[in-house]
Amino acid sequence: MFMEELDLLKKDWNKANVFEQVSEAEIYKMLHKKSSSTVRWILIISILELLLWSGSSFLFNADDAFKKFDIANLSWYVMASNIVHYAIVIVFIILFYVNYRKISVVTSTKNLMKSILKTRKTVQYYIWYNLVVIALSFVLGIVLVFMLDPTISKLTENANFKYGFIIGFALIAALIIGIFWMLYKVIYGRLLKKLYQNYEELKKIDF
Amino acid sequence: MTTYIFMSISLEQSFVQQLKDNQNIIHKICRLYTNDGDAHKDLFQEVTIQLWNAYPKFRGDSKFSTWAYRVALNTAITLYRKSTRRIKTAEYEKHSFYIAQDDYNSDEEEQLKLMYKAVYQLNDIEKALVFMYLEDANYTEIAETLGISEVNARVKMNRIKGKLKKILNP
Repeated sequence: MFMEELDLLKKDWNKANVFEQVSEAEIYKMLHKKSSSTVRWILIISILELLLWSGSSFLFNADDAFKKFDIANLSWYVMASNIVHYAIVIVFIILFYVNYRKISVVTSTKNLMKSILKTRKTVQYYIWYNLVVIALSFVLGIVLVFMLDPTISKLTENANFKYGFIIGFALIAALIIGIFWMLYKVIYGRLLKKLYQNYEELKKIDF
Repeated sequence: MTTYIFMSISLEQSFVQQLKDNQNIIHKICRLYTNDGDAHKDLFQEVTIQLWNAYPKFRGDSKFSTWAYRVALNTAITLYRKSTRRIKTAEYEKHSFYIAQDDYNSDEEEQLKLMYKAVYQLNDIEKALVFMYLEDANYTEIAETLGISEVNARVKMNRIKGKLKKILNP
Protein backbone atom coordinates (compact mmCIF):
# COMPACT_ATOMS: atom_id res chain seq x y z
CA MET A 1 0.00 0.00 0.00
CA PHE A 2 2.60 2.50 1.08
CA MET A 3 5.04 1.42 -1.63
CA GLU A 4 2.33 2.14 -4.19
CA GLU A 5 2.06 5.65 -2.87
CA LEU A 6 5.81 6.08 -3.07
CA ASP A 7 5.82 4.86 -6.65
CA LEU A 8 3.04 7.26 -7.47
CA LEU A 9 5.07 10.08 -6.01
CA LYS A 10 8.12 9.03 -7.97
CA LYS A 11 6.16 8.92 -11.18
CA ASP A 12 4.81 12.38 -10.62
CA TRP A 13 8.21 13.64 -9.52
CA ASN A 14 9.83 12.69 -12.80
CA LYS A 15 7.25 14.33 -15.00
CA ALA A 16 8.87 16.74 -17.35
CA ASN A 17 7.74 20.29 -18.00
CA VAL A 18 5.88 21.08 -14.84
CA PHE A 19 8.09 24.05 -14.09
CA GLU A 20 8.01 27.42 -15.71
CA GLN A 21 11.30 27.44 -17.61
CA VAL A 22 13.91 30.11 -16.96
CA SER A 23 15.33 31.58 -20.16
CA GLU A 24 19.01 32.07 -21.00
CA ALA A 25 18.61 35.82 -20.74
CA GLU A 26 17.22 35.47 -17.24
CA ILE A 27 20.11 33.22 -16.21
CA TYR A 28 22.60 35.79 -17.54
CA LYS A 29 20.91 38.41 -15.44
CA MET A 30 21.11 36.22 -12.34
CA LEU A 31 24.85 35.69 -12.74
CA HIS A 32 25.47 39.33 -12.00
CA LYS A 33 23.29 39.53 -8.91
CA LYS A 34 24.80 39.53 -5.44
CA SER A 35 24.50 36.43 -3.29
CA SER A 36 22.48 36.78 -0.11
CA SER A 37 23.86 33.63 1.48
CA THR A 38 24.73 33.10 5.12
CA VAL A 39 28.41 32.90 4.22
CA ARG A 40 28.38 36.30 2.60
CA TRP A 41 26.73 37.82 5.67
CA ILE A 42 29.24 36.14 7.95
CA LEU A 43 32.04 37.58 5.82
CA ILE A 44 30.62 41.11 6.01
CA ILE A 45 29.94 40.98 9.74
CA SER A 46 33.31 39.39 10.45
CA ILE A 47 35.24 42.05 8.55
CA LEU A 48 33.34 44.74 10.44
CA GLU A 49 34.19 43.01 13.70
CA LEU A 50 37.85 42.63 12.85
CA LEU A 51 38.00 46.34 12.02
CA LEU A 52 36.00 47.44 15.04
CA TRP A 53 37.98 45.41 17.52
CA SER A 54 41.29 46.42 16.01
CA GLY A 55 40.12 50.00 16.45
CA SER A 56 39.03 49.36 20.00
CA SER A 57 42.58 48.75 21.16
CA PHE A 58 43.23 52.42 20.43
CA LEU A 59 40.36 53.45 22.64
CA PHE A 60 41.16 51.39 25.66
CA ASN A 61 44.79 51.15 26.38
CA ALA A 62 47.12 51.71 29.18
CA ASP A 63 49.73 53.53 27.11
CA ASP A 64 48.40 56.95 28.08
CA ALA A 65 48.62 56.10 31.74
CA PHE A 66 52.19 54.99 31.23
CA LYS A 67 53.02 58.17 29.39
CA LYS A 68 51.25 60.37 31.87
CA PHE A 69 53.21 59.03 34.74
CA ASP A 70 56.36 58.74 32.73
CA ILE A 71 57.48 55.39 33.93
CA ALA A 72 60.59 54.92 31.89
CA ASN A 73 61.32 51.37 32.83
CA LEU A 74 57.83 50.28 31.78
CA SER A 75 57.93 51.67 28.27
CA TRP A 76 59.92 48.71 27.01
CA TYR A 77 57.16 46.43 28.27
CA VAL A 78 54.55 48.49 26.54
CA MET A 79 56.34 48.31 23.24
CA ALA A 80 56.88 44.55 23.50
CA SER A 81 53.27 43.92 24.42
CA ASN A 82 52.10 46.06 21.50
CA ILE A 83 54.23 44.07 19.08
CA VAL A 84 52.86 40.80 20.45
CA HIS A 85 49.31 42.17 20.26
CA TYR A 86 49.58 43.16 16.61
CA ALA A 87 51.28 39.90 15.72
CA ILE A 88 48.34 38.05 17.28
CA VAL A 89 45.86 40.24 15.43
CA ILE A 90 47.59 39.47 12.13
CA VAL A 91 47.59 35.75 12.87
CA PHE A 92 43.85 35.91 13.56
CA ILE A 93 43.18 37.72 10.29
CA ILE A 94 45.24 35.18 8.34
CA LEU A 95 43.44 32.30 10.07
CA PHE A 96 40.11 33.88 9.29
CA TYR A 97 41.03 34.30 5.63
CA VAL A 98 42.33 30.73 5.31
CA ASN A 99 39.21 29.29 6.94
CA TYR A 100 36.94 31.48 4.84
CA ARG A 101 38.62 30.33 1.62
CA LYS A 102 38.11 26.73 2.65
CA ILE A 103 34.34 27.11 2.60
CA SER A 104 33.27 25.25 -0.49
CA VAL A 105 29.76 24.70 -1.69
CA VAL A 106 30.93 21.68 -3.65
CA THR A 107 31.89 19.44 -0.71
CA SER A 108 29.48 17.39 1.37
CA THR A 109 26.83 19.13 3.42
CA LYS A 110 28.52 18.16 6.66
CA ASN A 111 31.90 19.54 5.56
CA LEU A 112 30.33 22.75 4.36
CA MET A 113 28.64 23.29 7.72
CA LYS A 114 31.82 22.44 9.59
CA SER A 115 33.90 24.91 7.62
CA ILE A 116 31.36 27.69 8.11
CA LEU A 117 31.26 27.07 11.85
CA LYS A 118 35.04 27.02 11.97
CA THR A 119 35.30 30.38 10.23
CA ARG A 120 32.74 31.78 12.60
CA LYS A 121 34.67 30.38 15.58
CA THR A 122 37.84 32.17 14.49
CA VAL A 123 36.08 35.50 14.79
CA GLN A 124 34.59 34.49 18.12
CA TYR A 125 38.02 33.67 19.53
CA TYR A 126 39.31 36.94 18.18
CA ILE A 127 36.65 38.79 20.11
CA TRP A 128 37.35 36.88 23.30
CA TYR A 129 41.01 37.68 22.91
CA ASN A 130 40.21 41.36 22.53
CA LEU A 131 37.91 41.39 25.53
CA VAL A 132 40.67 39.89 27.64
CA VAL A 133 43.18 42.45 26.37
CA ILE A 134 40.77 45.27 27.08
CA ALA A 135 40.05 43.96 30.56
CA LEU A 136 43.76 43.65 31.30
CA SER A 137 44.52 47.17 30.03
CA PHE A 138 41.63 48.48 32.05
CA VAL A 139 42.79 46.84 35.26
CA LEU A 140 46.35 47.92 34.64
CA GLY A 141 45.21 51.48 34.00
CA ILE A 142 43.19 51.57 37.19
CA VAL A 143 45.98 50.13 39.27
CA LEU A 144 48.38 52.71 37.91
CA VAL A 145 45.95 55.54 38.59
CA PHE A 146 45.45 54.31 42.12
CA MET A 147 49.13 54.02 42.74
CA LEU A 148 50.36 57.12 41.05
CA ASP A 149 47.69 59.81 40.76
CA PRO A 150 48.08 61.95 43.89
CA THR A 151 44.45 63.15 44.15
CA ILE A 152 42.95 59.71 43.73
CA SER A 153 45.38 57.96 45.99
CA LYS A 154 44.49 60.51 48.67
CA LEU A 155 40.77 59.81 48.18
CA THR A 156 41.23 56.07 48.32
CA GLU A 157 42.90 56.19 51.69
CA ASN A 158 39.32 55.77 52.79
CA ALA A 159 38.86 51.99 52.40
CA ASN A 160 35.10 52.17 51.78
CA PHE A 161 35.56 54.59 48.96
CA LYS A 162 38.27 52.41 47.48
CA TYR A 163 36.13 49.28 47.41
CA GLY A 164 33.15 51.23 46.12
CA PHE A 165 35.30 52.47 43.31
CA ILE A 166 36.48 48.97 42.39
CA ILE A 167 33.01 47.44 42.60
CA GLY A 168 31.62 50.27 40.49
CA PHE A 169 34.16 49.59 37.79
CA ALA A 170 33.53 45.87 37.90
CA LEU A 171 29.79 46.43 37.46
CA ILE A 172 30.29 48.73 34.50
CA ALA A 173 32.62 46.20 32.89
CA ALA A 174 30.12 43.37 33.48
CA LEU A 175 27.33 45.47 31.97
CA ILE A 176 29.35 46.23 28.85
CA ILE A 177 30.25 42.56 28.35
CA GLY A 178 26.62 41.61 28.96
CA ILE A 179 25.42 43.98 26.26
CA PHE A 180 27.94 42.61 23.77
CA TRP A 181 26.92 39.08 24.60
CA MET A 182 23.25 39.86 23.97
CA LEU A 183 24.08 41.58 20.70
CA TYR A 184 25.97 38.51 19.61
CA LYS A 185 23.18 36.16 20.51
CA VAL A 186 20.78 38.22 18.44
CA ILE A 187 22.97 38.72 15.36
CA TYR A 188 24.46 35.26 15.06
CA GLY A 189 21.46 33.53 16.54
CA ARG A 190 19.39 34.80 13.64
CA LEU A 191 22.06 34.11 11.06
CA LEU A 192 23.04 30.62 12.13
CA LYS A 193 19.91 29.16 13.70
CA LYS A 194 19.03 27.08 10.67
CA LEU A 195 22.62 25.95 10.20
CA TYR A 196 22.90 24.76 13.80
CA GLN A 197 19.57 22.95 13.59
CA ASN A 198 20.52 21.11 10.43
CA TYR A 199 24.00 20.35 11.74
CA GLU A 200 22.49 18.76 14.84
CA GLU A 201 20.15 16.78 12.63
CA LEU A 202 23.10 15.43 10.61
CA LYS A 203 24.97 14.55 13.77
CA LYS A 204 21.94 12.62 14.97
CA ILE A 205 22.04 10.50 11.82
CA ASP A 206 25.78 9.94 11.84
CA PHE A 207 26.44 9.03 15.42
CA MET B 1 43.86 39.92 -22.46
CA THR B 2 41.63 39.30 -25.45
CA THR B 3 42.03 35.54 -25.04
CA TYR B 4 41.12 35.89 -21.42
CA ILE B 5 37.94 37.82 -22.20
CA PHE B 6 37.11 35.40 -24.95
CA MET B 7 37.57 32.45 -22.60
CA SER B 8 35.46 33.93 -19.86
CA ILE B 9 32.68 34.68 -22.29
CA SER B 10 32.68 31.14 -23.57
CA LEU B 11 32.77 29.88 -19.99
CA GLU B 12 29.70 31.94 -19.27
CA GLN B 13 28.03 30.71 -22.41
CA SER B 14 28.62 27.05 -21.68
CA PHE B 15 27.47 27.52 -18.09
CA VAL B 16 24.24 29.24 -19.07
CA GLN B 17 23.56 26.62 -21.71
CA GLN B 18 24.07 23.71 -19.30
CA LEU B 19 22.11 25.33 -16.54
CA LYS B 20 19.22 26.03 -18.89
CA ASP B 21 19.16 22.41 -20.02
CA ASN B 22 19.40 21.06 -16.47
CA GLN B 23 17.20 23.56 -14.67
CA ASN B 24 14.46 21.12 -13.75
CA ILE B 25 16.58 19.42 -11.12
CA ILE B 26 17.08 22.78 -9.42
CA HIS B 27 13.39 23.62 -9.71
CA LYS B 28 12.65 20.33 -7.96
CA ILE B 29 14.85 21.31 -5.04
CA CYS B 30 13.29 24.77 -4.92
CA ARG B 31 9.85 23.19 -4.84
CA LEU B 32 10.90 20.97 -1.94
CA TYR B 33 12.44 23.70 0.18
CA THR B 34 10.14 26.65 -0.40
CA ASN B 35 6.42 27.04 -0.26
CA ASP B 36 5.56 29.90 -2.53
CA GLY B 37 6.49 31.16 -5.96
CA ASP B 38 8.55 34.14 -4.82
CA ALA B 39 10.67 32.05 -2.48
CA HIS B 40 11.10 29.49 -5.23
CA LYS B 41 12.51 32.17 -7.56
CA ASP B 42 14.65 33.58 -4.78
CA LEU B 43 16.23 30.22 -4.01
CA PHE B 44 16.67 29.45 -7.71
CA GLN B 45 18.63 32.67 -8.09
CA GLU B 46 20.84 31.97 -5.07
CA VAL B 47 21.58 28.46 -6.38
CA THR B 48 22.47 29.92 -9.77
CA ILE B 49 24.92 32.35 -8.16
CA GLN B 50 26.52 29.59 -6.09
CA LEU B 51 26.78 27.32 -9.14
CA TRP B 52 28.36 30.06 -11.21
CA ASN B 53 30.93 30.81 -8.50
CA ALA B 54 31.86 27.14 -8.29
CA TYR B 55 31.75 26.52 -12.05
CA PRO B 56 35.42 27.31 -12.86
CA LYS B 57 36.35 24.29 -10.73
CA PHE B 58 33.79 21.99 -12.34
CA ARG B 59 35.85 19.50 -14.29
CA GLY B 60 33.18 17.34 -15.77
CA ASP B 61 34.26 14.17 -13.98
CA SER B 62 30.70 14.00 -12.73
CA LYS B 63 27.56 14.83 -14.65
CA PHE B 64 26.55 18.48 -14.63
CA SER B 65 23.18 17.57 -13.17
CA THR B 66 24.71 15.61 -10.27
CA TRP B 67 27.16 18.39 -9.54
CA ALA B 68 24.36 20.96 -9.75
CA TYR B 69 22.00 19.18 -7.40
CA ARG B 70 24.72 18.82 -4.78
CA VAL B 71 25.42 22.53 -4.86
CA ALA B 72 21.69 23.24 -4.87
CA LEU B 73 21.08 21.02 -1.84
CA ASN B 74 23.94 22.65 0.04
CA THR B 75 22.55 26.04 -0.82
CA ALA B 76 19.03 25.15 0.28
CA ILE B 77 20.11 23.46 3.51
CA THR B 78 22.97 25.66 4.61
CA LEU B 79 23.46 28.90 2.71
CA TYR B 80 20.04 30.13 1.78
CA ARG B 81 18.47 32.74 3.98
CA LYS B 82 14.79 33.26 3.58
CA SER B 83 14.24 36.89 2.79
CA THR B 84 12.29 38.44 5.63
CA ARG B 85 10.42 40.87 3.45
CA ARG B 86 8.33 38.10 2.05
CA ILE B 87 4.77 37.71 3.19
CA LYS B 88 4.19 34.29 4.59
CA THR B 89 1.68 32.28 2.68
CA ALA B 90 0.33 29.89 5.20
CA GLU B 91 -0.65 26.98 3.04
CA TYR B 92 1.01 25.03 0.30
CA GLU B 93 -2.10 24.85 -1.81
CA LYS B 94 -1.31 27.88 -3.90
CA HIS B 95 1.87 26.96 -5.75
CA SER B 96 3.51 23.95 -4.41
CA PHE B 97 2.11 21.01 -6.28
CA TYR B 98 2.53 22.07 -9.86
CA ILE B 99 0.42 19.12 -10.83
CA ALA B 100 -0.29 19.01 -14.51
CA GLN B 101 -4.00 18.42 -14.59
CA ASP B 102 -4.14 16.32 -17.72
CA ASP B 103 -3.94 12.62 -17.00
CA TYR B 104 -4.90 12.27 -13.39
CA ASN B 105 -7.89 10.68 -11.91
CA SER B 106 -9.00 12.44 -8.79
CA ASP B 107 -8.15 9.54 -6.47
CA GLU B 108 -4.51 9.56 -7.50
CA GLU B 109 -4.45 13.30 -7.32
CA GLU B 110 -5.78 13.25 -3.80
CA GLN B 111 -3.19 10.68 -2.78
CA LEU B 112 -0.41 12.68 -4.35
CA LYS B 113 -1.48 15.79 -2.54
CA LEU B 114 -1.29 13.94 0.75
CA MET B 115 2.12 12.54 -0.16
CA TYR B 116 3.52 15.95 -0.95
CA LYS B 117 2.01 17.37 2.18
CA ALA B 118 3.70 14.65 4.21
CA VAL B 119 7.06 15.32 2.55
CA TYR B 120 6.73 19.01 3.39
CA GLN B 121 6.52 18.11 7.06
CA LEU B 122 10.00 16.59 7.04
CA ASN B 123 13.04 18.59 8.10
CA ASP B 124 15.69 19.92 5.70
CA ILE B 125 18.00 16.92 5.95
CA GLU B 126 15.18 14.41 5.57
CA LYS B 127 13.95 16.28 2.51
CA ALA B 128 17.43 15.95 0.98
CA LEU B 129 17.30 12.19 1.46
CA VAL B 130 13.82 11.99 -0.06
CA PHE B 131 14.98 14.11 -2.97
CA MET B 132 17.87 11.77 -3.71
CA TYR B 133 15.60 8.75 -3.33
CA LEU B 134 13.20 10.20 -5.88
CA GLU B 135 16.13 10.93 -8.18
CA ASP B 136 17.28 7.30 -7.90
CA ALA B 137 20.62 8.21 -6.40
CA ASN B 138 22.46 5.23 -4.92
CA TYR B 139 23.51 5.10 -1.29
CA THR B 140 27.15 5.82 -2.04
CA GLU B 141 26.08 9.03 -3.71
CA ILE B 142 23.67 9.94 -0.93
CA ALA B 143 26.30 9.30 1.73
CA GLU B 144 28.89 11.36 -0.14
CA THR B 145 26.53 14.25 -0.73
CA LEU B 146 25.55 14.62 2.91
CA GLY B 147 28.87 13.56 4.40
CA ILE B 148 27.52 10.62 6.39
CA SER B 149 28.27 6.90 6.22
CA GLU B 150 26.45 4.66 3.76
CA VAL B 151 25.05 2.49 6.53
CA ASN B 152 23.63 5.49 8.35
CA ALA B 153 22.17 6.83 5.13
CA ARG B 154 20.32 3.54 4.65
CA VAL B 155 19.10 3.48 8.24
CA LYS B 156 17.88 7.05 8.00
CA MET B 157 16.13 6.44 4.70
CA ASN B 158 14.15 3.58 6.21
CA ARG B 159 13.22 5.74 9.16
CA ILE B 160 12.01 8.49 6.86
CA LYS B 161 9.84 6.04 4.96
CA GLY B 162 8.42 4.94 8.28
CA LYS B 163 7.81 8.52 9.27
CA LEU B 164 6.02 9.31 6.01
CA LYS B 165 3.88 6.23 6.39
CA LYS B 166 2.92 7.31 9.86
CA ILE B 167 2.01 10.80 8.70
CA LEU B 168 -0.16 9.33 5.94
CA ASN B 169 -1.85 6.65 8.02
CA PRO B 170 -1.90 7.91 11.57
